[in-house]
Amino acid sequence: MRFNRSNLALKKDDTNRFLPWIIAFMTLLAALSIAGLLMLKQISQVFEYNSQDSITIQIPAGESSDDDEQRTSKMLVALKKVDGVVETTRVSNAEIKKLLEPWLGQTAGSETIPLPQIIDIKIDRTSDLTAEKLTRILGEIVPGTMVDDHSQWLANLVNTLKSAELIALCIVFLIALATIGTVIFTTRTGMGIHWQTLEVLHFVGAHDEFIARQFATRAFIVGLQGSAGGILLATPILYAFEYILKNLGSGLLPKASLNSSIWIGVSCIVPVVAIIAMMTARSTVIKTLKKMV
Amino acid sequence: MTEVVRFENVGLRYGLGPEVLQDITFGLEAGSFHFLIGPSGAGKSSLLRLLYLAHRQTRGLISLFGQDTADLSREKLPNIRRRIGVMFQDFRLLPHLSAFDNVALPLRVAGIRESEIKRHVEELLVWVALENHMDVRPPTMSGGQQQRVAIARAVISRPKILYADEPTGNVDDRIAARLMHLFEELNKLGTTVVIATHNESIVNEFGRPVLRIDAGKLKIPPQEGPHIRKNEPKINIRPNSLNQKETI
Repeated sequence: MRFNRSNLALKKDDTNRFLPWIIAFMTLLAALSIAGLLMLKQISQVFEYNSQDSITIQIPAGESSDDDEQRTSKMLVALKKVDGVVETTRVSNAEIKKLLEPWLGQTAGSETIPLPQIIDIKIDRTSDLTAEKLTRILGEIVPGTMVDDHSQWLANLVNTLKSAELIALCIVFLIALATIGTVIFTTRTGMGIHWQTLEVLHFVGAHDEFIARQFATRAFIVGLQGSAGGILLATPILYAFEYILKNLGSGLLPKASLNSSIWIGVSCIVPVVAIIAMMTARSTVIKTLKKMV
Repeated sequence: MTEVVRFENVGLRYGLGPEVLQDITFGLEAGSFHFLIGPSGAGKSSLLRLLYLAHRQTRGLISLFGQDTADLSREKLPNIRRRIGVMFQDFRLLPHLSAFDNVALPLRVAGIRESEIKRHVEELLVWVALENHMDVRPPTMSGGQQQRVAIARAVISRPKILYADEPTGNVDDRIAARLMHLFEELNKLGTTVVIATHNESIVNEFGRPVLRIDAGKLKIPPQEGPHIRKNEPKINIRPNSLNQKETI
């Protein structure tokens, strides 16, 4: 290698051997945290959207299915006349059965367990229409009608999800700190190993920046290798997680999926980790060299 | 003649230990040739370390190329160091780099173009008779070959001052003499040369001004000046004169 441009044998350091593995592990954790964070964001956005103007009306089951139909039709007509109601959507019996199936099994909707009728409505929150007012109006048409304003309980759920997002963000931050700490430690160790070489480089007139660049370049490469490895490890885990979420069979949670924005977020970890490693190594070398003459 | 080095009442101590150099005062004129002699532990290496800016004095004034080193910012140090060539007693070659890359190091850190580096380094390696060892790494070279790589590295950037620490310490007399002739040749080209040695026979043979250090104090013999031997051999080293059989 006549024109070898690296003046330090950093590649052969023991410190550089285990650093990619540590970075890979950190990246794996960061990828899981970021994907989790973005999925939670998806879910909370759905909840937030729903909680904005959605109210569910539950009409108690009648004597027969004809009776149910009659009550529901009456209710739909009445709702159209209420100021502040923007849209009404009747939830079909099949959908209600599907929603209740995880709890009631195949018996849902049978004669032994009659199903209530459900109407989803969108309301204009700027109007003076409230759940209490609607309960009063609808209760006169079909006694026992229940009005469920989602905004109250969904707000609590959204707050819980946002707290979880914050925790995930803190985990990502801690992982970044741990990665920076590891790079600082390995860079200092590497400098200790190559101290004599660094002295020679100084004596032949090398600027601190020249030396720092060599450590920074190596850290960038190691950061790229490690983080790419971490993403490779994270990919099957994320797919497995998505599969489990999709097959929960619960109507409680909106469907969250590994969409393109999650993959973009996760793959951004690779260059970000490499750049963090590079900048950390550079500043560590510059600071340490300042202690030399 | 202008002074390239000036020491005024310089003292040096390592940490909280005693002063290893005390009240050192001397000057080196551009193009001069000096021996720095003294017994082991007298402070030769410490003085050299101050000369090539590996250490800062604890007191006194050191001026290099007319600049007070105390006033030099860290950013300016590399430019001063590039004007100084150092040949270490233990060579300090980088073991993972080839002879070519070791010699090229001072030029690379100075940002010289690779085509120019190639030309200069190859020329110099031919001069020190290592043209067939350009791709060889120091650990597989003999002591003499490593020494020549170290010399080549010290002079590749045409330094104004060349310091050599015990350059004849590990070689036989014949090679030592050839090495000294090489330093004289560099001196004739205008390089200020300082050679630290405890080999008094070399000093006497080459008859150059002497800086004698003993117990950390510099003693310049009276009427030191150049006491060049009358029968000093004629030296005429050309770039290829180290080739083949008469290699150092």
